[in-house]
This record gives sequence, structure tokens and C-alpha cells, in this order.
Amino acid sequence: MAKENTKKNSNYISIKESRKILKYNIQQMKYYEKLKQQKRDESEYITRMKDPNNIIEIENLKTCFFTDNGTVMSVNGVSFSIPKNKIVGVVGESGCGKSVTSLSIMQLVQAPQGQIIGGEIRFNDEKLGYFEDGSKKAYDITKMPTKEIHKIRGEDITMIFQEPMTSLNPVFTIGNQLDEVSFIHNKDMSKEEVKKHSIEMLTKVGISMPEHVYESYPHELSGGMRQRVMIAMALAGSPKLIIADEPTTALDVTIQAQILELLKDLQKQVGCSIMLITHDLGVIAEMADEVVVMYAGRVIEKGTVQEIFHNPLHPYTIGLQKSKPLITSNSNEPLYSIPGQVPSLINLPDHCYFKNRCIKCTEKCSGKYPKLVQVTDTHYVSCYLYEKKGGKLSG
Amino acid sequence: MLKYIVKRLFISIFVLLGVSIIIYTMVRLMPTNYVDIKYSSQLQSGAINQEDIDRFKELYGIGDNSFKGIVTGYVKWLGNLCKGDLGNSFKYTKPVADVISENMWISFAIAVIATILQFLIAIPLGISSATHQYSIRDYTVTVFTMIGISLPTYFFAAIVIKIFSVNLGWFPSNGLIYASKDYADTFIGGLTKFGDIARHLVLPISVSVILSIGGLMRYTRTNTLEVLNADYIRTARAKGLSEKKVIYKHAFRNTMIPLATLLAGILPSLFGGMMITEQVFGIDGIGRLAYQALREGDIPFVMGYNMFLAVLTVIGTLFSDIMYSIVDPRVKLGK
Repeated sequence: MAKENTKKNSNYISIKESRKILKYNIQQMKYYEKLKQQKRDESEYITRMKDPNNIIEIENLKTCFFTDNGTVMSVNGVSFSIPKNKIVGVVGESGCGKSVTSLSIMQLVQAPQGQIIGGEIRFNDEKLGYFEDGSKKAYDITKMPTKEIHKIRGEDITMIFQEPMTSLNPVFTIGNQLDEVSFIHNKDMSKEEVKKHSIEMLTKVGISMPEHVYESYPHELSGGMRQRVMIAMALAGSPKLIIADEPTTALDVTIQAQILELLKDLQKQVGCSIMLITHDLGVIAEMADEVVVMYAGRVIEKGTVQEIFHNPLHPYTIGLQKSKPLITSNSNEPLYSIPGQVPSLINLPDHCYFKNRCIKCTEKCSGKYPKLVQVTDTHYVSCYLYEKKGGKLSG
Repeated sequence: MLKYIVKRLFISIFVLLGVSIIIYTMVRLMPTNYVDIKYSSQLQSGAINQEDIDRFKELYGIGDNSFKGIVTGYVKWLGNLCKGDLGNSFKYTKPVADVISENMWISFAIAVIATILQFLIAIPLGISSATHQYSIRDYTVTVFTMIGISLPTYFFAAIVIKIFSVNLGWFPSNGLIYASKDYADTFIGGLTKFGDIARHLVLPISVSVILSIGGLMRYTRTNTLEVLNADYIRTARAKGLSEKKVIYKHAFRNTMIPLATLLAGILPSLFGGMMITEQVFGIDGIGRLAYQALREGDIPFVMGYNMFLAVLTVIGTLFSDIMYSIVDPRVKLGK
């Protein structure tokens, strides 16, 4: 009992602490905002790709939010890469840092509270040549000043958001909003060309009567149509990577299937990569080539879609699989759910974050945060259960 | 659209009717009346007696203060109004319509300049303090505008007069022209007169602008903050638009939507004059006239002035509804 009383109540912050946090936050936010506005020489944000076949390599990315309750580490050392022409699925429950990772790639994290404080995001831009030693030049997005990132946003990396109902500006026509993308990135295009291009994009995403939709306002379209418009907008540049942040969450099931099918087709046509964020494992199984499982701001398991689905290793991934309803399962049995809650991301202790919810927890788990262990060539897991056994474990 | 406007105007007739009934009843129920105030000293000195007073009251049409008397008074007023006659002002002994139209323009000039300045200053300030939320700029602007909101007009005006007029002597404190000066009836004379009027208006306009910036600025700031957090702003950024374009194209149009509501109140404030400011600076605008008329129980003028404001308010509301449908494509007028 005495021990419990001395343990600090994390929900209560004294005025003194609160002031300290505020002071710290202001200082940090100023520092990072200034960094972003600074003019920088190109050499400062050009790095080399580890593997030129990847479109993007994220390494040890750290993004945090400076809130009144303390610093929230939303993304805490995430590393994964997206190969060219592949679909990579990112799964995890709400608040595990999926969206923040994707927003970090676009430098769109809600500033000034949200800041990228460390790590690298290497974007493999074709236009950048090679270094003298033959390695591929790449942009490091985390170090790019805001002015420079505009060149990449919407042109090379585009994004589809989860809320088609609110993601389009209600006071401008679809045509106006679509044309904008072409105008920014192709300044020498004439008005007619831009309009033609936009209508072409609308046709591409399967909208009948594209001329009519071009003149419409967003509120005159259904949710599915709006999401198609969002996809058209994402295609209007010449994307190398499309980030789809839960593109089907807000849509009903029949439209979901259509939109996913469309995304998959377009990916093959255009020849780009897709980073697909979702918490629907069914969608992942259907679409993705590779899967990244995230928990509390960290990658806990990654591998090909077969590996994750047929041989899930991390207890969290196993739990996720179990909590998926199957048409064959007994309808009288309650659906499995992982016990407990995601821990608060403020002042996390240095041990496995899943420890308190894990059914396979051992004494070792109280130690340092487990490193990513390579199980096969493509399969990685961050759990003490697999530390020494190597790849010899069967699911 | 036209059908909608016609329908709205038709409905406003009934609104105005209701407004006039309420105002007339309230004005008649005031504890004093024009005749009592005007002749009280003569009554005391014995120059006239109570009978004369009652006769005067009858003459002015305010003798019978019973329910029946008020109703007949109202019907008579309404009958004259239908003939296009607002009646004669007791105090100014001229037709009410003439008094209003003669004195309206100086108030209008002050209000137009003040309103334009107010918008030009408050909206950019609001937007910039929203885009730099919690910065020193935001706090400074907020503190100063809050001081502006909190100060009462008569107090702030008195301070301004004390500093800029009495102590520094930069600007005159009272009226529109120098009473001691003769203005020649030539072009040069007109020009000096105009210059003097402008000089006299500096203080009243500044006072009204400074005091009214706060509300509008806070309004713009809140709206902009809300809009900047919207999903479509993130989409606009994700397209690769520059920050300037995101704010001044995508956010600004949406910020303007709630601001259209404010237009409803602008029309009456443009023509209605500023009672307290005009009173403090001794400007014979319509606001000051209305204030004095009200104090002395000048029923026709008070009625005429208030109906004038009511008509402007009704038109202003209609105007702001039409503006809504222009700035927000989701709003459709009709039926």
C-alpha cells in the first residue's frame, strides 16, 4: 500500500510542474520552428539511400507533441522502408503513431506543438542523381526547410486522407481544387490543358460524368465520390509514393471494396508505391505486399504479408489476429480482445510497452526495450521471446 | 432569388409593424413627457396653469395615457405613416423625415470611415494573431484589443480629449468647425472648412475604431483558428500549396462565412449614428439628436428614428442572408 501511495499519480500535475512543462515546451517549439524556417544549403539535407530500390527509408524517426501534460512521444524510433512499386501496410490501434508517421513524411505534423525531433526520412527522388561513389542521392525530409518541401508535397508524395467528407474545401468547386495541384507543379501549363488533365484524372478514378463533377461543389457529392476525387487529386501530380491514411474508414463496406480495388489498379498503372495505413487487417491481407505493425509509437513487427498473417510472432500481432471476426467462428463466443489499454505516451519507461498487456510476459521483459530481431530475411520482431532462438520458431 | 427577396420584404412589413407597436407603447409609457418637461418652470412661476398644460398635451396628442389613448395615438401615427408622413418633431419643430435626412450624413461619414478602418485593421490582425497563435504578437494584440473592448466610450473619449486636445492641443475636442472662424464662400474657403471638419473628426473616429476593433478581431481570430485546424487545410498543404496561399485562399474564404453575420448589424450602425461618441464630442449627428429627443420625450422623432433603425436592421439581415449564399455555396436561398 505504502508503495502505491508514493508512486506518482500521472494524472495530477502540480502548478510548479505545469509551469516547468510550459516553459520547456515554448523553448522547444521555438527551437524547432526556427530550424524549419532557416535557409539551408542543399548539401545539408541531401543524403544517400541505403538501398536505391526503396522509394522511402525511414530510420529511427522520432516525432513528438509538446502538450500541456508533457511531451508525447507519438513516434518513437520508427524504422522501415517502402520499396518501389510495392504496397506497404501499416497497422496498429488508434493512437499508435501510424498517422503521425505518415504526416511526418509530408512534414504536415500539426505545428508548432508537433515536431520531428530526430531520425531520418530519406526520399529517393529520381531527379537527384548519384553520388560519385555510385550511391543514390536522396532528400532527408526531416531536415528540409519548409520552403523546399513544397516541391515534393503533392508532386512526388501525395496523400489521401481518411475523412473525405471534410477533406475537401467546401467553398471551392472540385475543378478549382483539382486544377490547383497541376498549377503548382506545372507552372507553364495553360488553363485548358490543366482542365483537360483534371477531367482525365476524374475519369481515371472511375467517375462518370467528369465534366459535371468538375463543376460541382464537394457537398453535392457522396462520400465515395469525394474519396475518388481525393484519389484523383493524389494522382494529379506524378506521385512516386501515395500515402493512404485509412482511406476507407469513413466509407460503407461496398464502397470500401471499390475504393481499394481502384487504388490497387491505379498503383499498377501509375507505377508508384503506396503506404496504406489502416486498422483493418482484412484490408491489409487484400492489398499489401509488406506489413509494418506498430504499437505505442514503435514498430514491433514487420515482414511480408504472408509472414505476418501465417506466422505472427509478437504477442500483440497474435492478439490482433485473434481479435478479427471470422465468418467461420462460433457466433456464441465473444470476440477475443487484448486486455488492458495502450499506455500513455508521456514519460514512457524503458521497457517493452506491451509488457502489462502481454500474456506471454516473462521476467526479462522488465529489462530494456527489446531490439528488433531478424527472424528471416524480411521478418523482424521486437520481443524478448525471440531474442536467442533466431528463426527457428514455429508459429 | 428574386422571389425569396420579395417574400422576405413582405414578411418584414409585419416585423416592422410589431416593432412599431412595441416602441410606441414604450415611449408613451415613459414617466415624463415633452409638455411637462418644457413648461415645468413656467408652471412653477405661475406664468401658466395646469389647465393650459392639459390643453397643450391635448394639442400634442399625448393627453390621454390610458390604454385607449395609446391605441388611438398609435393608429393616428400609423395612418400618417401610410401617407408617408412621420409627423413633426416636437423639439426640432420640423418634419421628422427632414431632421433625420439633414443630420444623417455627418454620422454616416463618421461611421463609414470608422467601419472601413475597423475592418482593415481588425481582420488582418485577427488572421495574423491566429497564424501566430500563442506568440508574443498574439498576446500583445489580444491584450490591447481587450483593453479596447473593456473601456466604456465616455471614459475613453474623456481620456483622449484630455490628452490630445487639452494637454497636447493637437486636435479640437468639440463640434465640427471652429465657431470663431469665418469660412469664405469660395473654393479655398470650402477647402479650409473641409480640412477643419476632418481635423475635428480625427478624435471621434479614432475612439470608435479603437473601441470596436477588439470584438471583430477576436471573432476573426477564433474563426481562423477553427478553420486552420480543419481537414481541408491539411489537404491544401498536402497539395504543396505555399503557406500564403493556404491561408489567404483556402482559409480566408471559410473565415469569411461567419463574418457575413456581422453584416446584418453594419447597416444600422452606418446610418444610425453613435449616441455616446457624438454626445461626448458635441457633434450634431443623428445619434446625438436622438439622445436629446429621447430625454425630452419627443415622441414623433423617437418613433421616426427607431423605425428608421428597424428598417435598416431588417434590410441588413436580408442582406447578410444573401451574402451567406454568395460566400458559402452550401447555402441555397429560396422557397
